[in-house]
Amino acid sequence: MTGPAVAIDCEGVGLTYTAKTGTAVNALENVRCRFSPGKVTAIIGPSGCGKSTLLQIARGFLNPSQGRLRFVTLGGEAAAAPAMATVWQAFNLFPWRNVLDNVAFGLELAGVSRGEREARAKAALAKVDLAGFEDKYPKQLSGGMRQRVGIARALVMEPDVLLLDEPFGALDAQTRLVLQEQLATLVETSGTTAILVTHSIEEAILLADTILVMTARPGRIAAEITVDLARPRSLATTHHPEYGVLFDRIYGLLRDEVVRAMTTEGEA
Amino acid sequence: MLDSPLTDASAPAASGPLQRVGTWLGEPKTLGWIAVAVVLIGWELIVIAFGFNPIYLPRPSRIVVALVEMFRTGGLTTDLLFTLGRVFGGFAIALVFGVAIGIWMAVSARFNAIADNFIAALYPLPKVTLIPLLIIWLGTGGPFMLTISALGAVFPIILNTLLGIRQCDPGLVLAARDLGANRRQIIRKVLLPGAVPSIFAGIRLGLGVSIILVVAAEMVVGKLGLGARLYLAGQVLETEQVFAVLIVLATLGVVITKTQDFIDQRLSRWRVA
Repeated sequence: MTGPAVAIDCEGVGLTYTAKTGTAVNALENVRCRFSPGKVTAIIGPSGCGKSTLLQIARGFLNPSQGRLRFVTLGGEAAAAPAMATVWQAFNLFPWRNVLDNVAFGLELAGVSRGEREARAKAALAKVDLAGFEDKYPKQLSGGMRQRVGIARALVMEPDVLLLDEPFGALDAQTRLVLQEQLATLVETSGTTAILVTHSIEEAILLADTILVMTARPGRIAAEITVDLARPRSLATTHHPEYGVLFDRIYGLLRDEVVRAMTTEGEA
Repeated sequence: MLDSPLTDASAPAASGPLQRVGTWLGEPKTLGWIAVAVVLIGWELIVIAFGFNPIYLPRPSRIVVALVEMFRTGGLTTDLLFTLGRVFGGFAIALVFGVAIGIWMAVSARFNAIADNFIAALYPLPKVTLIPLLIIWLGTGGPFMLTISALGAVFPIILNTLLGIRQCDPGLVLAARDLGANRRQIIRKVLLPGAVPSIFAGIRLGLGVSIILVVAAEMVVGKLGLGARLYLAGQVLETEQVFAVLIVLATLGVVITKTQDFIDQRLSRWRVA
């Protein structure tokens, strides 16, 4: 957290692209939302609703075809884009680099000296309980360990905003539970802004301050739900009565959209 | 190296020395060398038994004597060094240009469009057919040899570099961009290392073609080098020397192939699990 607290505002963001078949696809439509600094915002929605697309727009990798993206200070003034780093569903680790060099990659690009970047990468690895695995190669690690390398690789950049693109989507259910808890702790202690794209209602509630529920394509914000559950959260949080209420509410919203996505999928 | 479970199972713990020799004899590698020995001994005996004229089929033992003699006094070392210099010199040129052109084609649609037609025309053309033209242009000296060698190797290297970069996981490029990589850094630190296994496949193919072309060119020009030596020996019916040169060429091939196998194994960590 280096820069001032900057919010990311989506002001009527829409994205239309031309599919290979030549038809225009409306991926996102009139998305209005704020990603607040220091908060975790989860985006949840049916498959193909444009969750990851919205994340790519926030990251600046995709330009919206309608509306705009603004970075504003809490005072309402325009600000420069905050520093961001992404954790990917597919890990996207470099197979020819060992764990340490994977984590140090961003620092290496930025011209940080070898000694400093290795020290910082080691510290980041220790944070995700991977001290001692510096010399391993990604393919020697389990999926859960690979994603912890992915998390360390993003954290070492000390981003203002951490983007989590279905970070545990490729992991088995148990690994997922453990990593969710670890990530919840990391996010709580660092106080970083985070945007989490997920399919999992449980993950969204455990990690987020705000949950944006999206509609089926074209993706719009169906509801913005505030999660007031006390932190630190853990698996025990799921026994809290409030958790059940939130879960049911989000499931109710999602169920209709998922059904709608399933029945209209053929048209896309 | 991991042995396959099949070979593991076929090698039970041997107890006595006799069993141990038996196990050793049964091993595929040993068996391979025994087969070579059997063929050589059979060859030797058949030539002696039927009294073949050594102009047609010399005895292996005589070939070995000729080989040693050629190395000792006949200047075969010089020929070998010339051939190696031409092969690897041209190959080095091809490697630098091939990788550069391949990368450029992969990252620039315009350059790709320009280069594509030329490659489509030149790649399938048997490069030996260019020897007469190159001799007219460059003479028969070093520049000619290096050019023909480079021409042989450059196309497989270009195409495999291009293929390797195109097959690079787009997720890795996205991850690098996310961590702040600019275009140059993406090429140098993601696309190029990602294409290394494919580039080595190109090197494997290219080096083989270089050897063929250099030896063929030497046979045409007929002054120095293993190809020239081979051709001249054939002209004067020194069949033992012909075989000797063939042995040197075959050995060269084995050494290069084994070296590449070794490098390939070291590169295996490149490949995604």
